[in-house]
Amino acid sequence: MREGLFIAFSLFTIAAASGVVLSRNPVYSAFSLILSFFGLSGLYLLWGTTFMAMIQILIYTGAIVVLFVFVVMLLNLQVNKESSPNFLIVGISGAAVWFFSLIILRVLTQAIPNTLPAIPTDQIRTISKLLFTRYLWPFEVLSLFLLVMIIAIFAITRTQEIPHGGEKQ
Amino acid sequence: MDAFLPVGILFICALLLCVGLFTVKRLLGPRNPVASKLSVYECGVKPEGNARAPFKTGFYLIAVLFLLFDVEAAFFFPWALVYKESLAQGPGLLIAMLVYMGLLVLGLVYIFRKDCLKLN
Amino acid sequence: MDWMDLIVTAVKTIVIYLGMVQVVPIMLIVERRGAALIQDRPGPNRVGPFGLFQPIADVIKMMMKEVAVPKQVNKALYILGPFLVLFPASLVIAALPFGDFFTLFDKNYILQVANIDVGILYILAIGSLGIYGILFGGWASNNKFSLIGAMRSSSQIISYEIPLGLAACSAVLWYGTFSLREMVTGQEGTILSVLPNWGIFYQPLGFLLFFVAAFAETNRLPFDLPESEAELVAGFHTEYGPMDFGTFFMAEYMNMATMSGLMVSIYFGGWHLPWISDATLLQWLGSRNLVALIQVLTAVTKIAFFMLVFVWVRWTIPRFRFDQLMRLAWKNLIPLGLINLVITALVLYFKGAA
Repeated sequence: MREGLFIAFSLFTIAAASGVVLSRNPVYSAFSLILSFFGLSGLYLLWGTTFMAMIQILIYTGAIVVLFVFVVMLLNLQVNKESSPNFLIVGISGAAVWFFSLIILRVLTQAIPNTLPAIPTDQIRTISKLLFTRYLWPFEVLSLFLLVMIIAIFAITRTQEIPHGGEKQ
Repeated sequence: MDAFLPVGILFICALLLCVGLFTVKRLLGPRNPVASKLSVYECGVKPEGNARAPFKTGFYLIAVLFLLFDVEAAFFFPWALVYKESLAQGPGLLIAMLVYMGLLVLGLVYIFRKDCLKLN
Repeated sequence: MDWMDLIVTAVKTIVIYLGMVQVVPIMLIVERRGAALIQDRPGPNRVGPFGLFQPIADVIKMMMKEVAVPKQVNKALYILGPFLVLFPASLVIAALPFGDFFTLFDKNYILQVANIDVGILYILAIGSLGIYGILFGGWASNNKFSLIGAMRSSSQIISYEIPLGLAACSAVLWYGTFSLREMVTGQEGTILSVLPNWGIFYQPLGFLLFFVAAFAETNRLPFDLPESEAELVAGFHTEYGPMDFGTFFMAEYMNMATMSGLMVSIYFGGWHLPWISDATLLQWLGSRNLVALIQVLTAVTKIAFFMLVFVWVRWTIPRFRFDQLMRLAWKNLIPLGLINLVITALVLYFKGAA
């Protein structure tokens, strides 16, 4: 059951990721990115890390892709519609390539095990406690990093607006 | 992970509802395509100008600041989870978080001083 | 999980989901009659007794109106837009607790779709997906007003997600768990035998933050500038037909119900009656299932009260301007949220040290 779900989620993630790369319209790429992050979150769930799955959706899908979509909509790129491939078909063929390479690897090299590893229990508290004992220093440095990012963003976006087309920096 | 099986069932229910609504939308209702109905709506005036006019960077700024503060909040959650239990070992966690929050309050103060959010 | 478990869980999920979907027609009539009451006029009272069948008329009208898909829209995302909003609104109800548990064939089933151990994070995460429907729908419409409305609405929603998260974080801090069910279980009993042991007495500032942020998250007045009729035509759903409009509003009402459900679970004791504990109820009634019924009725009554408060505030307070809205979020609510976290942490520290 877990293995079946694993294959389903992996196929979905790879198909969506191929859609990101191969689609001509950047807004479609952003949408495929959301789908691929969902697939990834499903994979995290299969490993029992419910916390990571939710944080993945909260941060990646809920903040980072929002940023991408805002930027794409701001940039207003012109899409060359005639030559855009049907990204659904290309995405699915990419996933099929992955699937068959997985089978070939498993048959030829026996490197991929039959079952998924066991789900550990009470992961969230373990991770949280580790965060504040062993990884305390990176945790504080992260806060400093975020502060630097805030300052950098203001430095970068100091622009002047001009009426037609875009903005110059 | 077993707890998410009902969520899967809910997902299928929601999908069925969406498909149902879509079918209802397509089937019922008359179809009368007239040129004025099919064009861009601008309060009854003829539409003019590029539909995708340039926008202020204020929106981008809001999105980035939201991202940074969301990451900060994401780190508050594991702390909140284990804080009560760890108090037995002294104020370590409290001080760690006060340092973390202090640096971010500095960022917040910087944002307020720079006053860029008035752009919207 | 054997077959009986699976069937009961599936039926329970479907019942809870349909219950939440029923909120929409109920709110349609409550909103209009409530507005009429506040504005000193009758409101819809023609269709059925006291106008109670008005939602049926509204829904039939929405379904039968003409759907004119404009030429300039981006077909795929235009069609997907409303459903992208409805999906997260439907999925997010999975973590809301409606009662303790009921017994069927000697097995206990919890009165909740799923006992997710990261309940609050799940709700925040799936709730934050609601903005994609607005963004993609507004962009796909290829209309200046829609896009401005979409950008403003999403900026508003993301700005208020941080105070929401911070208020939820303080609640997690106080109860020491992410799971909503454990938070409600922790609110049993009384404080000094006078007040019920509810979250609002421990986290008043957190409740205030959550309350304000919930209004902004669901795009309700006083924060509904993106969809206000007088300002931006109809905001991001200008180019959409009647059924899509209906779908957007379904999602909005379901989001309101979820926010009310969250407020009730975290700050108002969830399914607990104010001074009567579950054990006393069990003594009076004898059957576990009857106690479960009372719990569900209590939870639903509390949620209904908060929905009424949503309607009440909408027709009482004037609308905020967009920059006032943003200033409120960034300059007032986020610092208050951080202060609330620090105060809760300090209180817990001194309580633990004592």
